[in-house]
Amino acid sequence: MLDRRLFLASAAAFCLPALSARAAAPEAAKTFVRGLANEAIEVMGNKGSAGPERLAKFRELFKRGFDVDAIGRFVLGRYWRDATEAEQQEYLRLFEDLIVHTYAGRFSEYSGETLTVLDARPEDDRVLLVTSQVNRTAGPPIRLDWRIAEREGGFKIVDVVIEAVSMSVTQRSEFASVIQRGGGKVASLLTALRDKTKNMQTR
Amino acid sequence: MARARSLMSRLAAPLVAAALLSGCASMNDEARDPFEPLNRHIFAVNQAIDVALVRPIASTYREVMPAEIKKAVNNFLNYLKSPVILANDLLQGEWKRAGETTERFFYNTLALGLVDVATHIPFHDEDFGQTLAVWGIAEGPYLVLPLIGPSNPRDGIGIAVDWFIDPVYWISVNNQWDGLIYGRTAARVITARVDTIPATDDLERTSLDYYAAIRDIYRQRRADEIRNRATRPTPRVFFDQYRALIIQEQPQPAVTN
Repeated sequence: MLDRRLFLASAAAFCLPALSARAAAPEAAKTFVRGLANEAIEVMGNKGSAGPERLAKFRELFKRGFDVDAIGRFVLGRYWRDATEAEQQEYLRLFEDLIVHTYAGRFSEYSGETLTVLDARPEDDRVLLVTSQVNRTAGPPIRLDWRIAEREGGFKIVDVVIEAVSMSVTQRSEFASVIQRGGGKVASLLTALRDKTKNMQTR
Repeated sequence: MARARSLMSRLAAPLVAAALLSGCASMNDEARDPFEPLNRHIFAVNQAIDVALVRPIASTYREVMPAEIKKAVNNFLNYLKSPVILANDLLQGEWKRAGETTERFFYNTLALGLVDVATHIPFHDEDFGQTLAVWGIAEGPYLVLPLIGPSNPRDGIGIAVDWFIDPVYWISVNNQWDGLIYGRTAARVITARVDTIPATDDLERTSLDYYAAIRDIYRQRRADEIRNRATRPTPRVFFDQYRALIIQEQPQPAVTN
């Protein structure tokens, strides 16, 4: 009996803080998304500073908010293991360039839209889905969901879902297509990435 | 709890690695596009038509047309589609949504379909391709149809059936209102293109393989429409591979190598 009570008490001591931490996570995740979106709008909407300077700030912010390496590896899928270590390194560098420019472009067209964070719910042990919508001046709002991983030091975004279209899933299938058309070689993807990021930078 | 988790993750690591390896074998056919060479060819022709004709008209329409008229055109097109939407609501057994479609139709008839006076009931779309999906029929291989664009056998049949069951079409035919048939088709094409201009421009700017990106986006969008935009379940690939990357604190050897 004593054993049992002791067991329950110690179980409670271990579990209670963990349980309350879990309950707090959705709220914290919502705050995280809200804060990041506001910062991004502030950086990219500040037309006073020069383009390259703005982009550098945006990149820094982006790397703080997104787990770029995990996304990059997911997107490369099974081809990650086919790549040499040098290819993996170059790929991750180019992938970062690509998505930083992709999102920077989207934010640079910012014209007064607002983000309403709607809900957050755990999807998995340490993955949450934060749902939000972008309110536009013209047209209905756009559904925008954020898949977020909970880490020791806070949160990291691992996927962005726009109107039910996952960026990661789309890019993954797109990259697989590029590699298959390039004879199954990861090198063909790197060539395409190099060309693309170069073109995007000149804009 | 913390100790339990670290034990769990130690136990889970080989399982995740195994899931990762077995998941890979099935990743090969993800594209489900056996007619890819032909599809890419038709896609290129469609793109040329879009660049030369559809996009410029849609872009001009978007810029020049007053917002009130654009809204009225959209309202009228939605209004004319009501019978087809209602038929598909019923075929899917969606009684509540069928009621909504009917109620909206009666309200908006008072405004000749030009003004949406039933904004208290949100508009929803349906088509026979979605009905077939609800009935459990598989989408089949990816197809790019001439002029129509991304599709598959299920959605192709859906378009034909929707055309055939549409009373507006038969009334137009019987009264020889050719203008209504052609005018409505043109208006549908242009207004649909207006809505997608920002997204396709962005995608062309950022994608490495525009065709492949459109193919995947088409599938994801259709899946969402079939679910009636209900909460999206986590894609299965996430459980096969994504979790291994984002949940583990330390990359596992099986993943990095």
